[in-house]
Amino acid sequence: MNEVTVIIIDAAIKAAVMALVLLTGFAYMTYAERKVIAGIQVRRGPNRIGPLGLLQPAADGVKLFLKEDMMPTGADKLMFNLAPIITSIPALVIMAVIPVAPDWIVNGYTVRFVVADLNVGVLYLLAIGSIAVYGIVLAGWASDSKYSMMGGLRSTAQVISYELAFGLSMVGPMLLAQSMSLRDIVHAQEARGIWFMFLQPIGFLLFFITGLAELNRAPFDMPEAEQELTAGYFTEYSSMRFGMFFMAEYIKMIAVSGMVVTLYMGGYLGPFVNQFPPLGIAYFSAKVFFLLFTMIWIRGTLPRLRYDQLMSFGWKFALPVAMLNVLATAIVLVYVM
Amino acid sequence: MVAPSKPITQDLTERFPGAVSKDTRPGYEGYIVSANKLTEVATAIRDEYGYEYLASVTGVDYIADGKLEVVYHASKMSGGASLNFKVQAPRDGEPEIPSLVGVWQGADFQEREVYDLYGLRFSGHPDLRRILMWEEFEGWPMRKDWKEVYYEQDAKPFKTRWPEGSVYRIEEKNRFNKNVRYPKGFDPRSFKSDGDEKLYALMRGEHLPEHQRINTDEIIVNMGPQHPSTHGVFRVVVKLDGESVVDLKPVMGYLHRNHEKIGERNTWLMNMPYTDRLDYLSGMGNNHGYALAVEKLIGSKVPERAEYLRVLMVELNRIANHLWAIGFLINDLGAFQTPMLYLAKQRELILDIFEATAGSRMMCNYMRFGGVVRDLPSRIRDEDTLDFITDLVAERLPAALDEIETLLTFNEIIRTRSIGVGVLPAKQAINGSAAGPLLRASGVPYDLRRADPYSIYDRLDFKVCTRPNGDVYDRYLVRIDEMRESIKILKQVLRDMPASGAIMDGESKYTHKVPNGESYGRVENPKGELGYYVVSNGAPNPYRYHVRAPSFINLTMLGDLCKGHKVADIVVILGSIDIVLGEVDR
Amino acid sequence: MSTEILTTQYLPIAVTFIIATALCAFIVWASGNLGPKRNTDKKLMPYESGMTPIGGANRRIPVRYYLIAVLFILFDIEVIFFLPWAIALLQNGTSFAQFALAEMLIFTITLVVGYIYVWKRGALNWE
Repeated sequence: MNEVTVIIIDAAIKAAVMALVLLTGFAYMTYAERKVIAGIQVRRGPNRIGPLGLLQPAADGVKLFLKEDMMPTGADKLMFNLAPIITSIPALVIMAVIPVAPDWIVNGYTVRFVVADLNVGVLYLLAIGSIAVYGIVLAGWASDSKYSMMGGLRSTAQVISYELAFGLSMVGPMLLAQSMSLRDIVHAQEARGIWFMFLQPIGFLLFFITGLAELNRAPFDMPEAEQELTAGYFTEYSSMRFGMFFMAEYIKMIAVSGMVVTLYMGGYLGPFVNQFPPLGIAYFSAKVFFLLFTMIWIRGTLPRLRYDQLMSFGWKFALPVAMLNVLATAIVLVYVM
Repeated sequence: MVAPSKPITQDLTERFPGAVSKDTRPGYEGYIVSANKLTEVATAIRDEYGYEYLASVTGVDYIADGKLEVVYHASKMSGGASLNFKVQAPRDGEPEIPSLVGVWQGADFQEREVYDLYGLRFSGHPDLRRILMWEEFEGWPMRKDWKEVYYEQDAKPFKTRWPEGSVYRIEEKNRFNKNVRYPKGFDPRSFKSDGDEKLYALMRGEHLPEHQRINTDEIIVNMGPQHPSTHGVFRVVVKLDGESVVDLKPVMGYLHRNHEKIGERNTWLMNMPYTDRLDYLSGMGNNHGYALAVEKLIGSKVPERAEYLRVLMVELNRIANHLWAIGFLINDLGAFQTPMLYLAKQRELILDIFEATAGSRMMCNYMRFGGVVRDLPSRIRDEDTLDFITDLVAERLPAALDEIETLLTFNEIIRTRSIGVGVLPAKQAINGSAAGPLLRASGVPYDLRRADPYSIYDRLDFKVCTRPNGDVYDRYLVRIDEMRESIKILKQVLRDMPASGAIMDGESKYTHKVPNGESYGRVENPKGELGYYVVSNGAPNPYRYHVRAPSFINLTMLGDLCKGHKVADIVVILGSIDIVLGEVDR
Repeated sequence: MSTEILTTQYLPIAVTFIIATALCAFIVWASGNLGPKRNTDKKLMPYESGMTPIGGANRRIPVRYYLIAVLFILFDIEVIFFLPWAIALLQNGTSFAQFALAEMLIFTITLVVGYIYVWKRGALNWE
């Protein structure tokens, strides 16, 4: 076997495992969200299908697949079909550059717990992350429905507005690590012996908040604001094509949590992780779960901002603060340290 | 609405000799105004006599006299009984009287309703379309000679069913089954209403001359009837410029069941359970208003304990309603159900009391003419009833309110989204017949429990809650204040209620002898002034039974409140008005 | 870019993309073929709260959205400049670092001037 074949097989296995994990993660995110919010709301949540309702996601999945798949008469057929795909692919591939554990040398063979360690990992995250908005705007546009259209427009404007602060708040860890590779950023946190969230608290908070806005999660879930736009850009979608938008949203929740963890919370770092690398997966997952729980918690407790307030928060607060944070970090790094 | 420089004591008949005469029919009161002087007299009533508030407009069909009558009730904001004046028009031909929208904005929807149900046109009305029925509907349903589909008889109990009590499908037996027919060539499946087209044309400004239309790319969107946040099958047609609302028109009637016509078929008592279904979140208050209206005619004296029981139930109901209203308002602000479910927890306990006492949680059917139907049970949920209620009133509800205040009142997102949104100035609130928390949040201290006390409210100590700004946030705060006042009232009720005693004036009866005459009974329902205008001709059934629905009339201002705001605000403003479609559409 | 980077770094990404695309295409295909098809005209009408839609949805979009798009492009360029600058800042000695920082400050100041202008002209307000 030549080298290229090995790389392809290696990548294919990892990618398949990643897709499997993400899909399961998506299914159980919906379950977890319903359970956690039920807890917040003094209810029980799903408890009928399987023990503690644990088979609920499977039942939902089967149901979604067996539902009638409709396309409105005025819809643009190609775009209407393409939109959920364009939304879902970035969600599935974005995690490819995030290392979930340190390298593990078994019998002389190095197991890397990352699909591809790109030297421009941060750029990849930014680039792939913004592709999904095409899916959203196309879904809104192709449906030929006013609610979808408005949802799509709102979403586009929102995502690109927050993209700026989102991108800028990634610069802090890059400055500290002097690299765009996510592995190097984790190593830098290990070398400094401190998570970047403590060195860059403003950057961390901004990154998490703008991440929520990028995800269209509460309290920024404007494009799918049920109260005024019914379901927003995917109003016209049904069956699993509708499910794919959900899938993309939940997987991106996991991905953004993974990004926050890697950039600011020490990634897979934890006690004894270098002695037994697979332990890194556990640390990484625990941190991701914590962030996911926080996102659900926020959804369960906060009302939604109005669209204009959301836009002015992004442009008038998040952007200048992120910019100042980067410059202040650079000044401190150059003149103090 | 300038306050009169000196109060005019001169009687209306002297002020407008020839145009106004006293209503001298037995059992009637007020004035009859001639149609051609109506606008002038109404302006005088508003400006000179100080009746700034047009509470109710309704029609009555006196078929024997060949007349349609429109009855107006106007109130003073300083309180006191309402002034009742009427206009008569012939039934035949195309009757027309001047519209009062220019004098009171609040007449807008009510005149449309009269037009819709009686076919009486109001000249000068800016937008006289059908409001509850659809535009193509034939006939005027509230006229006495209009028969509904599957019509059996004019009044219940129907001879076909009583006293034998045979049960069958009515459509099999009635001689009006031919009433169900379509015009030639009509296909109900391909039917498309012109009414919508008329409305859209109005929204597009097509009624304006060519040079006044602005050629922009504004978009007209339907929100509702099938929309998650219009609180039922309510529909607004919105003209949008991007995210901003340029124009908005409410459309209603999807839940219309001609409640009033049913009410005229029923016997007096049979209407009581029907009132529960109006504003189904505050059934006790609905019962109370209807009981008051009929008691005025009968002249019954409600026993002391029954009065206390009534107030107990009505105030508990007010709290239950406001909890729900606030929960839904926060929901409309985008909170994912959490505050609503927290509030529902307390509401359930109140409903437990209703269930134990009246037998049903929401459709209570609790009051009767001259009293209430059942006394309090001895135990609720394995606790002594009075202990249960006292614990709820003294401990749980205040604690729940404190919790709401800490969690919601100073929440930054709630504040930014509701302060300054949907501002209703006091002047417009009065002119537009806003009622209840909507009116009081605009700084108008008008509460019927104080302004025109009924039941035992004159003995109870509570204050009328107002807030100065008239925005969504103030409406929310007024509701919280009112719940606190209700708790105060409930404590007094529990303290002063006679431990035992009659709960009915005389024997409870199925049929009531109601003397000739008219009466307007009104209560301060959680949503505002709920009035019942009833006319009796001595028969076992009401001759006229009209509901002045606060939710319906409060919607008059919806368009003005929303203009200039964002799409998301429509939902919030609607939520802050707190409507129930059962009452809007009747 | 050397062939080695291409194969070790970008080939796995390509493989991931292919797998993801295949998966998504399969889901869309399956959902289109597993469910029943009982279409009626009314069912296929675009949703407008149960009413027949008035006019089409694809019409001119309010200009505000374009404004946001233009502003985004302007400011996104700034972010793009920040990224390479950030990793190069400390790797070339102190004097370079001071020079690069000064350069970036000047660049940012010009941008801030534009930002203030845009703010004052009300482009950031959503009316």
